[in-house]
Amino acid sequence: MNSKLASYIIKRLLLAVVTVWVVITVTFFVMHSVPGGPFMGEKAISEAAQKALEAKYGLDKPLFVQYTTYLKDIVTKFDFGPSLKQRGRTVVAVIADGMKTSAKLGVIAALIALAIGVVLGSFAALRRNSIVDRIIMVITTAFVSMPSFIMGSFLLILFSIKLGWLPANGASRGGLILPVITLSLSPMAYITRLTRSSMLDVLGQDYIRTAKAKGVPRVRIIFGHALKNSLLPVITYFGPMLAYIVTGSLVVEQIFAVPGIGRAFVTSITGRDYPMIMGTTIILASLIVIMNLISDILYKIVDPRITLE
Amino acid sequence: MRKKIFAVILTAALAVSCLAGCGKSASNDGSSINVCVGSEPDTIDPALNSAVDGATYLVHLFSGLAKWEQKPDGSLEIVADAATELVDGVENADGTVTYTYTLRDGLKWSDGQPVKASDFVFAWNRAASAELGADYGYMFEVVDGYEEISAVDDDGNPINPDAKLNVSAPDDKTIVVTLYNAVSYWNELLAFPTYFPVREDVVSNEGWATEASTYVCNGPYKIDSWDHQSVIRLVKNPDFVDAKDITMSQINFYLSDDQNNMLTNFKNGDWQLIDDIPTNEMASVKAEYPDEYVVAGNLGTYYVCWNVNEQIMPEGSEFAKDEYAKAEVRRAVGLLFDRNYICDEIGQAGQVPASSFVAMGMTEPDGSQFYENAGTNSYTGYYDVSADAYSENFNQAISVLKKYYDYDEATGKFTNFPTLTYIYNTSEGHKAIGEYLQSALAGVGITMNLENQEWATFLNTRKNGDYSIARNGWLADYNDPICFLDMWTTDSGNNDVQFGRGAHKDGAVYDMDLTPYGYDIKVQGTWSETYDVLISTIKRCTDENTRYKLMHVAEDMLMDTGCITPLYYYTDPYMISKNVDGFFANPLGYKYFMFTKIS
Repeated sequence: MNSKLASYIIKRLLLAVVTVWVVITVTFFVMHSVPGGPFMGEKAISEAAQKALEAKYGLDKPLFVQYTTYLKDIVTKFDFGPSLKQRGRTVVAVIADGMKTSAKLGVIAALIALAIGVVLGSFAALRRNSIVDRIIMVITTAFVSMPSFIMGSFLLILFSIKLGWLPANGASRGGLILPVITLSLSPMAYITRLTRSSMLDVLGQDYIRTAKAKGVPRVRIIFGHALKNSLLPVITYFGPMLAYIVTGSLVVEQIFAVPGIGRAFVTSITGRDYPMIMGTTIILASLIVIMNLISDILYKIVDPRITLE
Repeated sequence: MRKKIFAVILTAALAVSCLAGCGKSASNDGSSINVCVGSEPDTIDPALNSAVDGATYLVHLFSGLAKWEQKPDGSLEIVADAATELVDGVENADGTVTYTYTLRDGLKWSDGQPVKASDFVFAWNRAASAELGADYGYMFEVVDGYEEISAVDDDGNPINPDAKLNVSAPDDKTIVVTLYNAVSYWNELLAFPTYFPVREDVVSNEGWATEASTYVCNGPYKIDSWDHQSVIRLVKNPDFVDAKDITMSQINFYLSDDQNNMLTNFKNGDWQLIDDIPTNEMASVKAEYPDEYVVAGNLGTYYVCWNVNEQIMPEGSEFAKDEYAKAEVRRAVGLLFDRNYICDEIGQAGQVPASSFVAMGMTEPDGSQFYENAGTNSYTGYYDVSADAYSENFNQAISVLKKYYDYDEATGKFTNFPTLTYIYNTSEGHKAIGEYLQSALAGVGITMNLENQEWATFLNTRKNGDYSIARNGWLADYNDPICFLDMWTTDSGNNDVQFGRGAHKDGAVYDMDLTPYGYDIKVQGTWSETYDVLISTIKRCTDENTRYKLMHVAEDMLMDTGCITPLYYYTDPYMISKNVDGFFANPLGYKYFMFTKIS
């Protein structure tokens, strides 16, 4: 059994490497086919300076040579190269800086979404069709369907401008509170709904009825049997959700001026900062691939009936 | 049950960690100021920086030979900074000019080491070198030796790796620099960040300017901390020679590229100055914060540029190859635009309708405005931009265009004007202006399609001349009209119009006679051949009055082509809290906070 799981994980990891390699290759060539270059600005630099810079960063070499050099540096030295725009900084340093904030933001938001979502969802399921259930459902429907830029702007206006309780800038003290709330509301609402429907499903199962008939205490039925089994869909959702929250909080980062990876990603594209584009793409792709893998493995652990192929 | 307790504890811990530090972000007791002049800078290495926000950080961190200073009456002047005085040059027999500066006593780097003359020599050679490839390396083009030091071969390698600028440090206090010829804006260059000193052992670490711990400077402030993408905190440098005059102990430069976020931070009182205001909020901000909203001048022009090689004559027209006719058409089309409407209704930030290319704010040797002396008309500039003149301009344009195109009197529209395409880079403001231009031309039957391009693509398209008409803008590097004129020489990297390239290389022949200006120069050649000679003559000219006259001639030539259609002179709108005293900004847009006080 364990060796089966191990071989599954190895197989998936190999597949992940192939996926990331495909992402690298496609991004590399597409990126270079887009017009414009990293050393352009409203004011043109002299042709001599342009040539000197291209030579310095190896951009004067044939594209395929650049590609193989890039792959080799990553594999052998884990070297993602220098940023062409933020001169003197390496891609790894810039990404590490951005990830510090993005990861904190994403993980806190995801955990809050999970904690509150599961509690609210279970509560709604247990009080099915009560007024509380209905209120929860209405609110979560609103949160799920409201895009983060509207929610973010709304919270900003209310808590930062009108009430003046919280700063509008993500870099200030307490500045991450509003972005965390904004980011967590939609997945929280989604998890609430997932938990509710799956819990209702589980509560209708025969073994729950049997447990009730045997006189098992209600608390034990809920936490011992129902909750664990109703978390399956939440687990499937949670892994990729975490990856998307960490990597895709761009809009929220923009609204609250949070110094995260999303901004680094977008500015690298508009600025044609080739090594930065590659670096951020690789990190984001790897994160999504790995989170999906973890989520699949957890799935297996929670529900032993599932066979991994 | 254990799990439940764990879950409760986890939730509580999260909630607490999230709420910790809740409260007002910026308490202000007057010892620090929070401002935002831009997003994370690409670099704050003085040699590599070419951005205005970067220059603002640099003028607080470094002390060059000269600096901008505000006089008690509010006017600005360039004064000596690290140098004891700004000396006059001495002309040598070969026409070059030598300046000898003495450094003040007690100058120190932020790590305590003394500032030496050799640091300037090193910094200048570094900034100008082909090896560094700095955007503003050409700022040293006036210094003897620049041609050698900046030359590279086809592979981008320096041709003369050992070449140096003609600048030396005979001792620790003395800097001797020789220029190719006298340059009227030399003192201004000395105050420019590219000319600030750096120390060799510091910059040998390539990443020195990216972290507070490795950043060594010699100015009024040093970097206390730098949270990338978020804030750069500057604290007063106690070793600075004029530290007693610096009133503000700490400057927090917040880094943001989101105008709405900046405005929110200003409105809730966290930030005392923001350098950018969302265009669509401009009107409401003006009304709501009349005392905080400031519009400063800016040495720049927003304009439309035409690709000189684009065919704008109707099919089969006898004027298809007539350069003069095409120029007349472009000038006429330029008259169809109501610049007052663009400034008042679209820009809404105090922009000034432009009637010339060289921006408002550029001054003549006698102190008068260069743009007011442009052209030879009774009004200011090359066409009349006063509000009453618009209908006359319009009629004049129609009568000119009638000479070349079929006009339907009944509808008041031209029927065979080729379709034009206007490209602009993604921005609400550029789009709004593009739409206005489109509608103005549609009114007379000229179809102009709009094409929006992402920034880097746009620059590439425009530079390569793959367009018919494009949005353009130019901000001066220093207060001298030559900034606006030398960009149109054939080989210039900013020659977006494509003068002297493609078909224009074999264009019409012009006569240029510079004998009235005391030069034995008569040139007969294409537009670019004559223009290139004129610009190089201006660059070598040492007589101020003649030089400015020649620059007017150059602008006349440029405007005659009709390829440049100026729309407005840029302004620099920003918001500053009423509590802040002692703040000033220079015409290049650098903001100075060292002498501020918060009441």
